[in-house]
Amino acid sequence: MTTSTGIDSGALRPLRSALRAGLVVLALLLPVAQAAAPAKKADIFGVWLGIASNSNNFDPQWANTAYLPAPQFTPWGAERSRELGRLGVELPTPGACEPVNPSAFVGGFFPTQILQGHNQIVMLNEWVAVPRRIYMDGRGHPPAEDMLPTWQGHSIGRWEGDTLVVDTIGTNGRSRPINGYFANSVNATPESLKVPRLPASEQLHLIERFRVVGQGKVLEVTKQVIDPKTYKNTFSNIVYMERRPEVDVQEYYCDDNERTKDEGH
Amino acid sequence: MKVITQLGITAALVVSAMAASAHHSFAMFDLGKDVTVDAVIKEVQFTNPHVWLQIMVKDDKGTETEWSIESGAPGMMLRNGWKPSTLKAGDKVTLTLHPLRDGRPGGSLVKVKVPDGRTLGPGAPPAN
Repeated sequence: MTTSTGIDSGALRPLRSALRAGLVVLALLLPVAQAAAPAKKADIFGVWLGIASNSNNFDPQWANTAYLPAPQFTPWGAERSRELGRLGVELPTPGACEPVNPSAFVGGFFPTQILQGHNQIVMLNEWVAVPRRIYMDGRGHPPAEDMLPTWQGHSIGRWEGDTLVVDTIGTNGRSRPINGYFANSVNATPESLKVPRLPASEQLHLIERFRVVGQGKVLEVTKQVIDPKTYKNTFSNIVYMERRPEVDVQEYYCDDNERTKDEGH
Repeated sequence: MKVITQLGITAALVVSAMAASAHHSFAMFDLGKDVTVDAVIKEVQFTNPHVWLQIMVKDDKGTETEWSIESGAPGMMLRNGWKPSTLKAGDKVTLTLHPLRDGRPGGSLVKVKVPDGRTLGPGAPPAN
């Protein structure tokens, strides 16, 4: 038989068989290939600046939210809150140059720079002396007996669709409050300073969800706080930052000129 | 919409007032009181964690006193119109501050009119 192209179809038979076999193999491999493909990463990388803290008339849809539901202290948490409230107005303010903990890391006045490293994402905040390293290689947290408590704790991350989910434990419990002015997470108002300080203990378990919204210009960060030593319940807030590629992140070495300590005011 | 704008301005003013004390207690300043002085810049310490302006202020009798004015973090100020060279020793300025509660000569910067004609705050966005 001769086809309309003039080529004998019999001569094509081996080629057709080979193609068919190849397609079967491809069909079998496709699900594997799809499963092995890395999840699509949203473009969370670059420099971000808290919206509410840095704009006079920001769009109200980007207003940070309060912690909800209202945090309920354990007895230890209530006592620690009173202690932080007392220390917060002392001069010199204790721990004024110490890093804030990860729940207060992004948002606020100072820019956050998010970088893609090898098997990890690194977050830098201008006024926090230490970086956050979020391991993206699929590892888990170390067992409790091997956990080295640190200011930023141990963070592991994964992509859920377009959302970066970061799970953090292993903080040292020496943090400043996670709310109010010193937290870098909630805009300062006179009211924010009257409400009880919200402490974080070494049992803090923070789950953050980073998602780009607002036509790619806004980073929404949902922070879920679980700290059974301090709180009877779990609560969350949302902070919004805007993409600010023109901003140069500055150095902030807090002890450079700490006249507040030296002069006692 | 007008209400939202008003709220925004109010929030910015509050932030401006508190920006000078981003990392320590600001209980030492009387945030409810503004004092405006004509002064001559003696020294600018453009340093972390906060910028300090040393200014010379003359009283009614002509006696000069040095005041210490605490401003915001350098990074915040750079993002809001300042440069390390914005103010230099010898510059004459009109400066508004929240005074120290204990009566010593000094306070936290609210705003200052700099030689190029702009009015700058301590690092938070200008309230306009």
